[in-house]
Amino acid sequence: MKLGEAISRYSNYLLLLPGLFASILGAIVPLAILVSISFFEYEFPSIIPEFTLENYLSYIFSEKTGTILLNTFGLSIMTCFVCLLVAYPIAYTLVFKIKSSRVKTYITSLLMVPFLIDWSIRTVAWISVLGENGLINYFLTSTGIVSAPLKLLFSPAALVTIWLQTYTLFMLFPIYLAMGRIDVEYVRAAQVLKAPPYRVQYDIVFKLSRPGILTGFIFVFVSTLGDYVTPSLWAGGIQTLGLSIASYAGNYLWTKAAAMSTIMLVITLMSLFLLIKVGQIKKLVYEK
Amino acid sequence: MKIVDNLLKLFVILFIAFVYLPAFLIILLSFEQSSSIALPITGFTLDWYIKKPIGYETPAFVSLLYDSRLWVAVENSLRTSLVVAATTALVVTASALALRHRVKGRDVLFYALLLGFIFPGVMLGLGSTFFYSTVGLQYSFWSVVLINVVYIVPFGLVLMMARFDPDLMEYEKAASLLKASPTAVFRQITFPLIKWEIISATIFGFLLSWGELIRTQFMLKGTGTLSIFLYTQLSNYTLTPKWYAAGTLISAMSFSALAVLAFILSRGPRS
Repeated sequence: MKLGEAISRYSNYLLLLPGLFASILGAIVPLAILVSISFFEYEFPSIIPEFTLENYLSYIFSEKTGTILLNTFGLSIMTCFVCLLVAYPIAYTLVFKIKSSRVKTYITSLLMVPFLIDWSIRTVAWISVLGENGLINYFLTSTGIVSAPLKLLFSPAALVTIWLQTYTLFMLFPIYLAMGRIDVEYVRAAQVLKAPPYRVQYDIVFKLSRPGILTGFIFVFVSTLGDYVTPSLWAGGIQTLGLSIASYAGNYLWTKAAAMSTIMLVITLMSLFLLIKVGQIKKLVYEK
Repeated sequence: MKIVDNLLKLFVILFIAFVYLPAFLIILLSFEQSSSIALPITGFTLDWYIKKPIGYETPAFVSLLYDSRLWVAVENSLRTSLVVAATTALVVTASALALRHRVKGRDVLFYALLLGFIFPGVMLGLGSTFFYSTVGLQYSFWSVVLINVVYIVPFGLVLMMARFDPDLMEYEKAASLLKASPTAVFRQITFPLIKWEIISATIFGFLLSWGELIRTQFMLKGTGTLSIFLYTQLSNYTLTPKWYAAGTLISAMSFSALAVLAFILSRGPRS
């Protein structure tokens, strides 16, 4: 019975094995290789395992680096804020203003649609909204508001709009979970004690949904950081970190691409630290 | 306060409209007669779906039905997504069942399972390429499956754990106290209570891997999955309503899967 006992004692760890195996093989090992390659020398077409800092130094002393980092962070953080502005009221309405759980589920499912249209098709669909012959320009010119079509595509604003459509769900879902865990009694107690509505909103609803907001912030941040496809199509030639990684990799400059990925990894790990320390994502799913 | 409530509801409706706007235009323009995707549309046709090609067209002008490479890509996508969905559902269910308990090191284990989502896609794609070329498994089916599973498990895990019946563990404990064997507890208590969560995790996994592009793109060459095929075609050929017809078809397929998912979620115990 010894084996049986051991199995039942460690059954929870056994259950976790497949997931951990996938995480190690699919995420940790590839990243470890990526980081080590970033310190290797490179001579076309092969990577030479000799230690060098050249990949980083050439990057740090490049003139473009500042602009690229600024663009990357600016665009990603802006998207986070816009997503928050949109997702917070929606989550609030879903949790506090809609009573029927059936309606709630239908609305959340409806919002999943951006995931369901193919990535490339979804982005080219924006041509028919924002393009020169698109919906908005058609409306503006036919009503005579403007005489010539506006250039709306290929700009940072277009990128943020498209990212908003794609990633709001990553913001909405954690806030929705966090708000759903707020005990309605707190709100009632505050109202009974004649707290002004803005205090109820700020001190109870906002403060208690902060773990969700921060989690959503980081979800949107890392997703936009890693998305090079949308900027390559719609950012109007603006360089981002993800785009540079993809273009270096596309030109077989593996070690340079690896070095930039390592920089991105450091940024991501800092976000992950925030997620664990401040955001406390676990509170959304298993801890009260 | 009534006005505020109604304004909030209006905002939700407006946002849904914003999310659907591109989808609506894709469907509308896929029936456009001319080969341009400009508004207003000039006339309705089904040519982009079923017209028999003469044989000299570039891929952008071959109708969906006769674009054989597109159907190869659909087949690739279906095969990948089905395997990914089944694998994800198994991994998610096992992990979620374990993480309900206060196992030692639960936080670290939970975060370790989220890594595939936390690490940006372009990084994981590039790192995996190096990894698989080192071990000689580059461009293999299983490398695509793994990178998708690692990406999708975090979604499924959070979704499933947030929806577990809060009393599930109590029922299990009661059954064990009554000397039910672990297998009996699982078969008669746990599984019936979580089966809808497992099904929705499967469908969700299918949908996410069906549309995945950033990570998968690094793992494949050739025709690839549907999303890769469309991305390369769109970067190389002109934009015609044909691609919108493809979008309509794909959306219709995934929308039916979503409808099933919504139906399942809305009948669950804690929706």
